[in-house]
Amino acid sequence: MKSQPSAADGMTASPSRRRAILYGSAAVVSLIGVADSVYLTIEHISGRSVRCTIVQGCSTVLSSDYASYRGIPLALVGAVAYFTVFSLATLAAFDYKLAAKLLVPLVAVMLLVTVWLIYLQAFVIEAFCQFCLLSAAVTIVLSIIIFFARRSPG
Amino acid sequence: MKRALPFIIILVVLAAVVAVAWSLKESAVSKPPSPAPGAAAPGSSASPTTTASRSIPPGAEPPNAVGPATAVVTLEEFGDFQCPPCGLLHPVLKTMKQEFGDKIRVIYREYPLVPSHPHALSAARAAEAAGQQGKFFEMHDQIFENQKGWDKAFDARPIFESYAQKIGLDMEKYRQDVTSQVVEQRIFQDGKRAHALGVQGTPTVYLNGREVPFQSLEPGKLRVLISNEIAAVGR
Repeated sequence: MKSQPSAADGMTASPSRRRAILYGSAAVVSLIGVADSVYLTIEHISGRSVRCTIVQGCSTVLSSDYASYRGIPLALVGAVAYFTVFSLATLAAFDYKLAAKLLVPLVAVMLLVTVWLIYLQAFVIEAFCQFCLLSAAVTIVLSIIIFFARRSPG
Repeated sequence: MKRALPFIIILVVLAAVVAVAWSLKESAVSKPPSPAPGAAAPGSSASPTTTASRSIPPGAEPPNAVGPATAVVTLEEFGDFQCPPCGLLHPVLKTMKQEFGDKIRVIYREYPLVPSHPHALSAARAAEAAGQQGKFFEMHDQIFENQKGWDKAFDARPIFESYAQKIGLDMEKYRQDVTSQVVEQRIFQDGKRAHALGVQGTPTVYLNGREVPFQSLEPGKLRVLISNEIAAVGR
């Protein structure tokens, strides 16, 4: 008699299936980062957030010297980075080994940049932008997912 | 097919991201200048305050203005003394005034963004108090030109007092005016006008009643806008 799949089977999914789920989750989470950084890029380009508003924070951060490097908005760099993570995580979910390997250094660099940006907001600019904090949260979650995906056996 | 599926997913998502980003950019950047209801009609030589409709309050009367009331172009700025972009706009508007002379009139409206800018209200009070002695723009210039010198201060009021002394105000009157109802009412009236017009942030500038896009608040673009307006009105 064929046994029905149970919840316990889900808990003990095969290593390759578990990895696929983790990389799939990373791809979905990275899309939040893409949406957030695309929004920030548009705000930066349009100049709307450079203006002072009643809800302060983003305007201070986005009008600071750190919001762009040689004319390129940092948010645009973020959007490219998140989309790269999305692409690699999607490929890794389909068992592309090289993509899974490349994700590690990319997410590590993003995590370091995130720590630096949080430091800038807290101690240099002295203002927090909630959209920048969302981006930081996305990178931290991505780092955790990738860490567990790499530790997954197989 | 299975090997191609991730690439198809990536391309579809990329196309969706580019499409959404493009439409967002178009709606944000290409937003045409919107006429301010109740403000001066395009081509009108009257100031927005004199043509305000019943629904839009006129703001403080008389407004803090440089240039004749009959000027061809009226620039009405809603500003916050502690806002860095307002500090950057200050020399731009000064240059425009020098270049166009009596053809333009510049009105400054108070729109202190409290509590994000803790010293914005006391700066507005200081400038309005100077205005009570006919030296609004002298104080306005001092406050903007030294913005980085006071915006991080624990209490900026003594610094504004030093500017008041520097521009030669009667200090006893200044100290009375800075906390007076008259000054408070002027700031309140400007704020009412800003709210009625839907001002979202500072600086917001209206050129003959039409909102100037934020990206156009730099010398090159603003010069063209003013010149075009002068040419249109002079026709």
